[in-house]
Amino acid sequence: MITFSNVSLIYPQSTKTILEDLSFQIEEGEMVLVMGETGSGKSSLLRLINGLVPHHTGGILAGDISVDGISTRTVKPGSLAHLVGIVGQNPINGFVTDIVEEELAFSMEALNFAPDVMRKRVEEVLDLLSLSALRNRSIATLSGGEQQRLAIGAALVMHPKVLVLDEPTSALDPIAAEEVLSVLHRLVHDLSVTVIIAEHRLERVIQFVDRIIFIEGNGDTSIGTADEILKNSDLVPPIVKLARALNLSEIGTSVREVRRQTEDVRSKEYVRPSNTPTHTSTAIEISKVSHSYSGKTALNGVSASINHGEIVAIMGRNGAGKSTLLHSIVGLHSPQAGEIRVDGVDPTTLKGAERRKSIGYVPQEPSDLLFASTVSEECALADRSNDLTPGSTASLLNRLVPDISTHAHPNDLSEGQRLALVLSIVLSGNPEVLVLDEPTRGLDYRAKNLFAIALREYATQFNRPVLLATHDVELVAELADRVLFLAEGEIVADGTTLDVLLSSPAFAPQVAKVMSPKPWLTVSDVVHAIEGQS
Amino acid sequence: MRTSGVFTFKGASLIALFLTSAISALGFLWPFLINEKQGHPQWIFLMATPFALLLLLISSSNNQLDSKSIALLAVLTALIAALRPMGTGAVGIEPMWFVLILSARVFGPSFGFLLGTLSMLLSAILTGGMGPWVAYQAFAAGWIGLGVALIPRSLRGKKEIFALVIYGILAAEFFGIAMDLQFWPWALGTDTQLSYLAGAPIAENLSRFFSYHFLSAMAWDIPRAIFTASLIAIAGKSILQTLRRAHTKAAFLTPIEFIEHVKVQKASN
Repeated sequence: MITFSNVSLIYPQSTKTILEDLSFQIEEGEMVLVMGETGSGKSSLLRLINGLVPHHTGGILAGDISVDGISTRTVKPGSLAHLVGIVGQNPINGFVTDIVEEELAFSMEALNFAPDVMRKRVEEVLDLLSLSALRNRSIATLSGGEQQRLAIGAALVMHPKVLVLDEPTSALDPIAAEEVLSVLHRLVHDLSVTVIIAEHRLERVIQFVDRIIFIEGNGDTSIGTADEILKNSDLVPPIVKLARALNLSEIGTSVREVRRQTEDVRSKEYVRPSNTPTHTSTAIEISKVSHSYSGKTALNGVSASINHGEIVAIMGRNGAGKSTLLHSIVGLHSPQAGEIRVDGVDPTTLKGAERRKSIGYVPQEPSDLLFASTVSEECALADRSNDLTPGSTASLLNRLVPDISTHAHPNDLSEGQRLALVLSIVLSGNPEVLVLDEPTRGLDYRAKNLFAIALREYATQFNRPVLLATHDVELVAELADRVLFLAEGEIVADGTTLDVLLSSPAFAPQVAKVMSPKPWLTVSDVVHAIEGQS
Repeated sequence: MRTSGVFTFKGASLIALFLTSAISALGFLWPFLINEKQGHPQWIFLMATPFALLLLLISSSNNQLDSKSIALLAVLTALIAALRPMGTGAVGIEPMWFVLILSARVFGPSFGFLLGTLSMLLSAILTGGMGPWVAYQAFAAGWIGLGVALIPRSLRGKKEIFALVIYGILAAEFFGIAMDLQFWPWALGTDTQLSYLAGAPIAENLSRFFSYHFLSAMAWDIPRAIFTASLIAIAGKSILQTLRRAHTKAAFLTPIEFIEHVKVQKASN
């Protein structure tokens, strides 16, 4: 279906080859994962398939790419529209209409389909993606998972033979991600659609894919089955790390496979490690906070207290009220009922430098905080506004991501670099409390690791609280001391990470699923337990 | 091979631009050129100008607009059209002009012309102010976009902002004169000191027009010029930066090369 022969790509005004001598073939009805570090060229590879690169971006393309026998050299992307459906990273940016049905019909209208054909196809797609209950809904009111399914649906109405998706699950909670992936699975198996997907959260997709294309940092690429690729890769999901740590003979990609191989590990008895020291002094006090947006309840009588030195994760489905709770804590709005005290102060009364010193906030879209035109300007600005010696923010940034280009425009950075930049700017104010909203979207495992280390350091070194809202269960398992679980604006679970994550099947990390009923969340938990026993 | 460029008038569409602009310029200037008492020149031009506009838009949309230009044009047109009603009611507070001028500066005069005409048309639909005068407004706005070509391309920094501020003042005044010209023969009836006098000598009509314009300028054009110029001076730098970044991102006219092997290419260098 798709053939890459000796493909290399060089972008204009650049001497670096993005992809080097890449050759592979993808058969009809295959599901292929493209993985690699941020900035390695995954998105470029996806856009090469429908000709957007180089026809819209410019650059030098060596070798040949053909899709269903058509070479992308000779045709413009528009002529491949019926063949290749593409779903971008952030579906809301791609929607053109307001209503679900209209969005599905839009691309067919652009290509002048007959009305009866359009009508039929819209119905087909509504059924296929179980969207029919949403058909008259306004797109803005859909949840993240529903929007992603709609974006896939809008691509599917053209009956493409190839579906290309760029990080389809990175903004979704685990349940919505499952929803989207099972839809893709069904498309591959029932309709023989060829699916190519780029994703960082390998633990979510690895069990569904037939093959993996791995783009390494140095430009080398390899393609093969999941077992072949993951055996030698640095970027691996926790389940593979577990298999390596336990020296299993085979690397499994699904919980079931690894569980079968680890029966003996689970059958033994282990001493429970002593509990971690508890934090006692309260830093943030939330009492009976309620908030609603034009009649829709976002928070309903939420009470909790967060202690100094604690890392607390706020979890829950999309729309559960996580961001609203964070906004209230940061003081972006004052809650309609109840009150919040951060170190004894109402956060809405803080202003200017005092605010920067009390609360550090990294919003969901970190670039909202960036407005200078280069990285070094941003750093200098942070130094000036916090009265630091020039260069301190830059050196903090350098510690987080060593090879960042200081002359780049902040919006040209990769997700991980941009997050690191915002984090160093926020940390340069040396805030008493750190609050982060969905910080690891689009980060690869390496960047996530660095990020977790930085947060841990901040929490333990200064004995200050860190609060983060996230869908990333693996990160929570590694990092958080405590989890607040929100549903419909109420706290439904509040306890140690271990207790909360183990009790919910959907939000349990992979290692916990494999090792259930043993109380282990991460690979290092398992390793420690085994070492402690022997 | 290159990626497609920003829209420019060339060949047939350039000729169309000149011809239609000439027709519509006559539509503005006829009171000074036609020294006839009989006939109804004002009606003729009132018909001719919208047709000229229609003709021009058809000719330029035939196949020279590619998807990227259309996307940019659509976004900026929507923005400007949305800005226009913000000023209605308040005297001369028209935030649309500075966006139009800055966009034309970044994306070129041809693009600026299309942007000006389309956003006038669109905002007329939005505000419900559709009528024969819309074609005049559209041409005037288009010319303002086109006129940015007068500023040398290489100017940057403070000088560029300064030049744009001056241009903003001139453009605001130009729009005022153009709108007065269009309106004048209809506005006052035939029996006031300032009315258009059919068949009178040009000098007489000119002096009547400028007295009329001076009165209306106090209310509309001077506030408009001040407002536009100050917006350019205040926000010009950052908006130019944003638009230029969009220009770079859109990768207009970037070379595309197809080769067999990247290694072969390296050896030949």
